[in-house]
Amino acid sequence: MVDKTIMCPNCKNNLTIQGQPGEKIYITCPKCDTKGKFTFPGKTSYETTDDSYALKIEGLTKTFNGFKAVDNISFSVKKGEIFGFLGPNGAGKTTTIKSILGLLHVDSGNIKINGYDIKKNEIEAKRSIGFLPERVAFYDNLTPIQTLNFFCELQGADKSIIRGLLNDVGLSDALDRKVGGFSKGMLQLLGIAQTMIGKTPVYILDEPMGGLDPRWVKVVRDRIINLNEQGATIMFSSHILSEVQTLCDKVVIINKGKIIAKDTVENLNKHLKIRPRLEITIPGLNGKIPEIIKKIDGIESIDIKNDVLFITCDSVARINIISEIKDKGFEVKDIKTIEPSLEEAFMKLIFKDDEVK
Amino acid sequence: MAIINLKSIYSVAKKEFMDNLRNKWIIAMMIIFLLLTILASYLAGGQAGGEDAFGGMEDTVVSLLSISTLLIPIIAIMLGYSTISGEAENGSLSIVLTYPVKRIEVLIGKLFGLGSVLIFSIVVGFGAGGLIIAATVGASEGLAYLSFIALTIMLGFMYLSLSICISSFCKKRVTSIAGGIVLFFWAMIYGMIIFGILLASGVSFEQFLTPGFAYPDWLFASVFFSPGDTYQMAVMQAFDVSQAFGFTMEIPEYMSLGLLVFAQFIWLTIPLILAYRFFKRRDI
Ligand SMILES: Nc1ncnc2c1ncn2[C@@H]1O[C@H](COP(=O)(O)OP(=O)(O)OP(=O)(O)O)[C@@H](O)[C@H]1O
Ligand SMILES: [Mg+2]
Repeated sequence: MVDKTIMCPNCKNNLTIQGQPGEKIYITCPKCDTKGKFTFPGKTSYETTDDSYALKIEGLTKTFNGFKAVDNISFSVKKGEIFGFLGPNGAGKTTTIKSILGLLHVDSGNIKINGYDIKKNEIEAKRSIGFLPERVAFYDNLTPIQTLNFFCELQGADKSIIRGLLNDVGLSDALDRKVGGFSKGMLQLLGIAQTMIGKTPVYILDEPMGGLDPRWVKVVRDRIINLNEQGATIMFSSHILSEVQTLCDKVVIINKGKIIAKDTVENLNKHLKIRPRLEITIPGLNGKIPEIIKKIDGIESIDIKNDVLFITCDSVARINIISEIKDKGFEVKDIKTIEPSLEEAFMKLIFKDDEVK
Repeated sequence: MAIINLKSIYSVAKKEFMDNLRNKWIIAMMIIFLLLTILASYLAGGQAGGEDAFGGMEDTVVSLLSISTLLIPIIAIMLGYSTISGEAENGSLSIVLTYPVKRIEVLIGKLFGLGSVLIFSIVVGFGAGGLIIAATVGASEGLAYLSFIALTIMLGFMYLSLSICISSFCKKRVTSIAGGIVLFFWAMIYGMIIFGILLASGVSFEQFLTPGFAYPDWLFASVFFSPGDTYQMAVMQAFDVSQAFGFTMEIPEYMSLGLLVFAQFIWLTIPLILAYRFFKRRDI
């Protein structure tokens, strides 16, 4: 059994969870009811049979008028995985996603969706997909019901689920309104409803939380987890890194059209030597760092805000700090270990990548 | 590969029909068209028949012809000019194309869906005109009137096919607006250009207006290069009208209704084939 303290991305509440190495657990924050997922660090096995992959991308390159937007990238997403696709603006995320879906004509690359080649077996490949584009638009003069009716027909899916889907995304008050009058967020929600038509096994979502207020971000998160629990594979791109961190099994980070990291969230942090942070609350410190702590070996950085110490250090130093504090009779009110955030990993990687170039 | 799913085509067509029939610009054009046809059915008769308020079939058809030659291309271009470029730009096409449909199905569905809007407005407009005529002067030329309606639908489809081709070629909505405008003006000034060439070739304006003047063959041949002209010529053939807009014409033998309709099918299919080629290669 391993203990972990993680931070809820919504209400910043810290919670401790337990599990086996390599185990994947679903979490619900007791304070704000936000759902999340966590994979405990440990060995992960990589099988290589073709049908264990929901998405398999090999050597994908796409140029626009000579400009390489995506440069020879390869990755795969296993069935049942939640896969985060990260990168700064203009990195090539949307281009990659549109190439996977056959919307763009690629220069080179092999793409398989659920085992079907997007070029050779277009219809079967597309039947397995629920897709949310970066910019969602529908038909101005149709109502949400008429819109989803159309997509149900295209998918060959049962239309009786439409009202339920619209209700799930909170659009049941707008059933008779024309989509042309919808706000950006409402369009996004209708877009999300649309992806769930036909219970497809693979979801590709380009910034699914973009343009939504916090309440709906939570709804979308919960939906993603819900779909995943039912066995769906989800690939999504995002700028909200804390979202990716608590949702994804695996992440790929791209920058300037190239993959710069491909790993589990946990391994990524380890690989980048981003250490967990210790937060110790000692009443009466008032912004002064005790000298004895400063002297301890293995501390990477130390900071203080009022009565709370923020320390980044290795695990040996952590034990030393805690015992030292207790020995010297400080009255410790609270000790927390904060998991490193993907944000740090992300920034560090991109910074390094840009430096090299 | 060759298998085309008719259900998908039908769904796309239905969606286009529902969306465009609720478009306020399209509705406005359809109302203008309806009012003008009713007015023309009334006025043409008023002038030709003296006392009789409503005119006979032929006179009415000649005035209806000038309305449809102007308005049907406008409606067709409005329906088609951005059907692909606009949808590609705003993102809705990227959703549609990730459903199990082929691009060819989307294209054909669009043609039929938008075409149904055209058929609807032509049938309503000319149907109303036809009813007025039938009620006043009888329905003796009913069959010719039906072919008039059919030829007008064909006119609409030719321009629809051309404008879908434009929207499939243009990368952005704004460029396809320009394309649509160019197409419309070309249709409108084509006659003037031909007339200009005729005058430049040494034919004087008086000669041109003289009854019995033999027009050069190329003048008739020029008809085939304009969808609108094939339409007018075909309608006049269908009604056996040789006198229109104050001109009398000796129409050459070869200019049969069949040949004209054949030319119209070419005008319909070539732009569509091109549209498909552009659409297929296009990044969405
Ligand atoms: N249709 C296009 N024509 C020309 N260049 C393009 C086109 N689409 C994308 N690009 C370029 O390719 C690069 C990658 O763009 P892309 O939209 O894939 O980035 P992204 O990672 O999705 O960014 P964002 O986070 O801003 O959405 C950018 O430099 C962009 O300018
Ligand atoms: Mg993007």
